[in-house]
Amino acid sequence: MANTDVIMPESSLTAMSRRQHLAKTFESYRAELDSDNERRERLIILSRSITQLSKKLIFHLHRGATSLGPAKEKTLTEGRKKEREIWVNFGKIRDELRVRGAGMESDKDEKAGREAFWRWNRQVSPGLEEYIEGLSFLWYLEHGTLIPLEEVQQTLSDEAGEPLVVVTPEDYILGMSDLTGELMRYATNALSTGDHGTPLAVCEFVRTVKAHFDGISPQMLYKLSKKQDETQRSLEKIEKVCYALRLRLIEFADRPEILAQMAKRALEDAADNEGGGRGDE
Amino acid sequence: MSSDPTPSRAESVSSTLSSVISLLENEQNLKKQIREAVEPIEDLSRAAITELNKLHSAPFAQHGQICESAVSIITKTQPLWVTVATLIPQGEFYRYQFALGPAMRNLTTSIVLARFILHDELTPAFAVSNLIGVQHDGTEALQLSAEDYLQGVIGAVNELPRLSINAVTSQNFALPVKIAAFVNDIFASYSLLNLRNDALRRKFDSLKYDVKRCEDVLYDLTLRGLAPAPAS
Repeated sequence: MANTDVIMPESSLTAMSRRQHLAKTFESYRAELDSDNERRERLIILSRSITQLSKKLIFHLHRGATSLGPAKEKTLTEGRKKEREIWVNFGKIRDELRVRGAGMESDKDEKAGREAFWRWNRQVSPGLEEYIEGLSFLWYLEHGTLIPLEEVQQTLSDEAGEPLVVVTPEDYILGMSDLTGELMRYATNALSTGDHGTPLAVCEFVRTVKAHFDGISPQMLYKLSKKQDETQRSLEKIEKVCYALRLRLIEFADRPEILAQMAKRALEDAADNEGGGRGDE
Repeated sequence: MSSDPTPSRAESVSSTLSSVISLLENEQNLKKQIREAVEPIEDLSRAAITELNKLHSAPFAQHGQICESAVSIITKTQPLWVTVATLIPQGEFYRYQFALGPAMRNLTTSIVLARFILHDELTPAFAVSNLIGVQHDGTEALQLSAEDYLQGVIGAVNELPRLSINAVTSQNFALPVKIAAFVNDIFASYSLLNLRNDALRRKFDSLKYDVKRCEDVLYDLTLRGLAPAPAS
């Protein structure tokens, strides 16, 4: 290094001005990177809180999903209330994405927000997926069926019908894949309260979802292929439960209390088998 | 049991899923189209790199010509970017940036390298955009992001230690001096940035080694009295 001093001074005569010039340019790059980083942090925080709230919504629904009549109604009403709390956070995300366009005419504002949405999609999508899972579970409990993509998008829109964030087919499909896991839990909970219709309905539902998702190639949606393994396990578990349930339903049609007990045992067997299977691998 | 799923419900689940999956397929097709449209750009980009590789072996007198030729190859990508831009739905540039960013980075690398040899300067981001024809008529939707530009510049610097060494082999003792000064300036400039722990940060870490290797060459030249006299 010491020897380079012999050379550096003369080249620095021209270099000084270049270096100063570069410093100016790089200060503007720095400003851009800094504001991007700050925005990224804020979005990650919002996305995380959406994830947390969505998990709470799902737990809440599990707690009340198997109750009957007014208790179930209350669970669903409260669920909707929780869903709206999450919705507020998506509003904050929309506002965050529009900041750069502040002061511009509203049309450009919209466009800037859209552009920004895709730019920051990776920060937003973890929360979004969790939310879709929660919302679709709520919808399933309310309607007994699959929430359409348009419905998810509409729920995630403002009062004027403008989307707060864009829900892509990917987000939707990954959310539905997670839903199958929640439904498996719901079905087994329902079983222990003597509800036999739910496991059979859920089984059919999960089977349909899985069959459709099997048709999606891994190149199209890599993340799904991993989730499909999980869905497969959930489905096999429900199918075993339904198998036992169907036999008992025929056998003990007139004695519901024995049915409930049997079903519970079948459930435990299914859990044991799963544990054993894993151990063999 | 009466609560078995009714056929109509199963059908509605099926049709909902089918329509979503076909949306997904449409999007995948668009991604594929965009990737295909970027391919000829990448071909040209590779051609420019091949051209610039000659710098390591060609006599110094030909350097200017090699760099001019590389830049002119790159300007041929301009109409191709227009084709790419037409495929991208309005406001969704960043949705497909993953397919465009690498090409933009590589082009930035070649441009910065060529124009350093030609003009002894760092080509600024807007000039790179101009040369590849981004944000022109028909390509307003495309952008060279700060991230891609900054990564591309480091790519060019990564080439320079080798060029410095090969210059010495072919007895060009002025070029290593020019290179060392440039690499030092770039390093000082990047030090002004607040980098996160991401890809750009790792790239930046590689700069330190480039600075050292370029200065080692200078050291060897100075030690033997081979470094050129101060520019007059």
